[in-house]
Amino acid sequence: MSQLKVSRRGFMGLLGAGSGGLVLSASLSGCASGNNAVQSPSPEALVLNAFLQITPENTVHFYLPREEMGQGSYHGLTTLVAEELDVLPERITVQHAPVNKAFNHPEFGMQGTGGSTSMKVSFYPLRQAGANARAMLVDAAAAELGVSPAQLKTEDGHIITTSGERHPYGRFVQLASTLPTPENVPLKNASDFNLIGKQRPRIDGISKSTGTAQFGIDVDLPNLHKAVIIRSPVYGAKPVKFDATEALKLADVAQVFAIDNGVAIVAKHIWTAKKAAKLVSVEWSNVPLASQSSTHIRDDFASALDTSEGEEHFKSGEGVQALQQAESSENSTVVEAEYWVPFLAHATMEPMNCTIQFNGPRCDIWLGTQMTGAVQSAVAYHGELDKENVFVHTTLLGGSFGRRGNLDYVVEAVEVGQAFSKSHPNTPVQIVWSREDDMRHDYYRPAALARLKASIDDQGQVQTWAATRSGGNMMSYILDEVIDVLAPGFLPNGMVDWLSKRGYGLFENWVVDPSSVEGLHEDYDVPNKEVRHVTVDHGMRLGFLRSVGHSYTGFFKESFMDELAIKANMDPVEMRLNHTQSSPRLNGVIREVAKVAQWGKPQQGRFQGIAAHRSFDSYVAQIAEVSVEGSKITVHKVTCVVDCGRAVNPDMVKAQMEGGIIFGLSAALYGEITFKEGAVEQSNFHDYRLVRLAEAPEVEVHIIDSQEDPTGVGEPGVPPIAPAVANAVFQATGQRLRSLPLKLA
Amino acid sequence: MIHFMLNGEPVSTDVPEDTPLLWVIRDYFNLKGSKFGCGMGLCGACSMQLDGVSTRTCILPVSAVEGRHVTTIEGLGTADNLHPLQKAWVKHSVPQCGYCQSGQLISASALLAQNPNPTEDDIANAMSGNLCRCGTYPRIKDAILDTAAGGVAQWEPPGSDNAPSADSVSDGVAQEKSVAGGEA
Ligand code: FES
Ligand code: FES
Repeated sequence: MSQLKVSRRGFMGLLGAGSGGLVLSASLSGCASGNNAVQSPSPEALVLNAFLQITPENTVHFYLPREEMGQGSYHGLTTLVAEELDVLPERITVQHAPVNKAFNHPEFGMQGTGGSTSMKVSFYPLRQAGANARAMLVDAAAAELGVSPAQLKTEDGHIITTSGERHPYGRFVQLASTLPTPENVPLKNASDFNLIGKQRPRIDGISKSTGTAQFGIDVDLPNLHKAVIIRSPVYGAKPVKFDATEALKLADVAQVFAIDNGVAIVAKHIWTAKKAAKLVSVEWSNVPLASQSSTHIRDDFASALDTSEGEEHFKSGEGVQALQQAESSENSTVVEAEYWVPFLAHATMEPMNCTIQFNGPRCDIWLGTQMTGAVQSAVAYHGELDKENVFVHTTLLGGSFGRRGNLDYVVEAVEVGQAFSKSHPNTPVQIVWSREDDMRHDYYRPAALARLKASIDDQGQVQTWAATRSGGNMMSYILDEVIDVLAPGFLPNGMVDWLSKRGYGLFENWVVDPSSVEGLHEDYDVPNKEVRHVTVDHGMRLGFLRSVGHSYTGFFKESFMDELAIKANMDPVEMRLNHTQSSPRLNGVIREVAKVAQWGKPQQGRFQGIAAHRSFDSYVAQIAEVSVEGSKITVHKVTCVVDCGRAVNPDMVKAQMEGGIIFGLSAALYGEITFKEGAVEQSNFHDYRLVRLAEAPEVEVHIIDSQEDPTGVGEPGVPPIAPAVANAVFQATGQRLRSLPLKLA
Repeated sequence: MIHFMLNGEPVSTDVPEDTPLLWVIRDYFNLKGSKFGCGMGLCGACSMQLDGVSTRTCILPVSAVEGRHVTTIEGLGTADNLHPLQKAWVKHSVPQCGYCQSGQLISASALLAQNPNPTEDDIANAMSGNLCRCGTYPRIKDAILDTAAGGVAQWEPPGSDNAPSADSVSDGVAQEKSVAGGEA
């Protein structure tokens, strides 16, 4: 609820708006020629709070505090304010929130979007904002109409009197602005919801179906120049020298210069810049990563697991010790298996891009990002500007899946923009990555090797569950990137440098990065558990990809659970039900999916596999129906049951499950990034294959009816799909596939 | 000088002949609905109809469209006058991030113009050049089938008497038409 601590008056102050009475409100819409506060919707608009403004013309402006990347915050969060304000969501004008602490993520302490948390952290604060605003308008209407507030009703942006007269909210905004701001007005009871829990088309559907939705790459400004960057084939290598003689002969090429990670070519037109880039030769510095190839990393991980017991992340009961007893007991079976997943690229449909303009001490930047607040800090830090002079204009994100939570494309834009501004002052430049750049310069989902070992008693109960994961840690790279950017505010500079250098090594021998092992042990009731981690990092840049550690621990844990069920001669559904007695919600989705997917009765020629996984506070179970012909795996249908608490927009929850399943299916069937002598071998969609429409299964989603508060949906659909398919493939073929992507022998 | 029909209007441009049509449409004619996704003809984000056929324009030199008809997403329909498929897209909440959807709609509309009653296989064949990383395929299928079955003939988006300005998030962007090299 921390967002609400900023009072209306406080927020007006933050905007530098007028005092008291009518305020000159600022439309904070994404892009503008200059000022953050441009084009007020109306000079007489009422600023109700940080999130809402209403004009005398009855236009409601909502400042969207979490970015929209497809996951549905645009529609979902608008639904929350619309519900309590009594306005239809499609009548609300949604604006991207500017950087302001009023829009900080309550859990992150900065303005950002991620971790499938947007609905969870907004469910009360945004409804409260809507309810307070509505109460304010009702009070004003009551005063003006000379009735008591209790006699007035509200409906779709109107005050309704007892005699049925309808007055638009806008009529009362002048008076409302002179009244005290109500706080903590009671929220609606669930039984009174008109929008929450109801089916309604998403409100960004029209702009996204007519080509008018604006993404970062669509930003256009007078005299905008375009830049492409020749990047080193090996991450971390620097340009030692370059020759741009031929490139500079092309008409239109404005400037060619070296930056930290490559050579930038700026031209008036993108095609010229691309052509010019082909004419530049660059010599790169040598970096250690250049001696690494992915052919040996799995072996490196394996030998690390052979020789090191690593760090303990979690232990319950006697932990792995309990296995010793089991090994010598006649009533126990010990099962052991090794699982593997490769590196993955995010491959958002919109490649990375960023538009930037420097004008003296001021910088404007236009982009889609998950790290709105950190972008401002990064530009200020790397550009040596005051934060107050950095204006971040966010757009919709053409996909992100974690990728636009990184700052590399911002930091390089600062370097390009500043260098370019020396010859072309106050001229905007847009850096557009090619698909090849995007594929080869990602923050990859780490490759991971895990060894799992368990003992089952003669009743089929798992007594011991031990898992050790080996690979690199995502958090090291995230910390490296943000620590110098975010830290100066509270740490002395020497300490910042120290930390920034330590970030990389922090998780090697100090603590286990929770993202590396999350999801490995949490779900099942087992008396003895132990999770350990052995860090092996070859220096490939790592990052968060949709469902983060769960993207592979779901595969490890759920495939292994299937192996245990088969070893114990138990039905895989029953096995899971038996081990989720202390988790009724996980138990519930397993039971439900078995019922709706008709577990045990697949269509002729098809085979079923089940997987269930809890992530981001939500519970998802899936049953995949698969057939196998030769070595070809066809996924016909996926049935999915999700318990994400109250579904604010049930159809969007379904869409996120569908999308998560298809995203995860690309990883299950095709996804693999490899590198040779430090350079990523894949470059575009022909060698980094994604599921296409013809391969997409039918997806049937059921949502558990729940009164619990909402939890994540953007990511939790991903983890169960790979193991559900692998488990079905085992049913079909008897082959246990323990590596992704799934390949039949 | 290259002359062609763009969304029903005659236009001409003197940009270098090898410039891919995608960039000409986006940066000279300022129609930003068609997207760049791969630059290799692999993803379909840049799809436009060329004489009614869904075509990858990131690898199509502008010289190849001399005298031909180019239709972009902007020519398919607008917020006030949605093409039936666009209505179906809204009705089924097809888009997630939305980035691929212009291309999807161009391919879907080319399909229905040729084949008003496609089977699921026809849809799979016609739509498999268009990638969607968000995984909206099941809804794309449903929306095409619904349109073919007349399911949106009577349907209007809720609140469409006052539909949100289609680009309410982008107002304020300097949309100065840069006509250098292209004229409408
Ligand atoms: S951008 Fe043209 S097919 Fe991908
Ligand atoms: S909707 Fe995001 S790529 Fe298709």
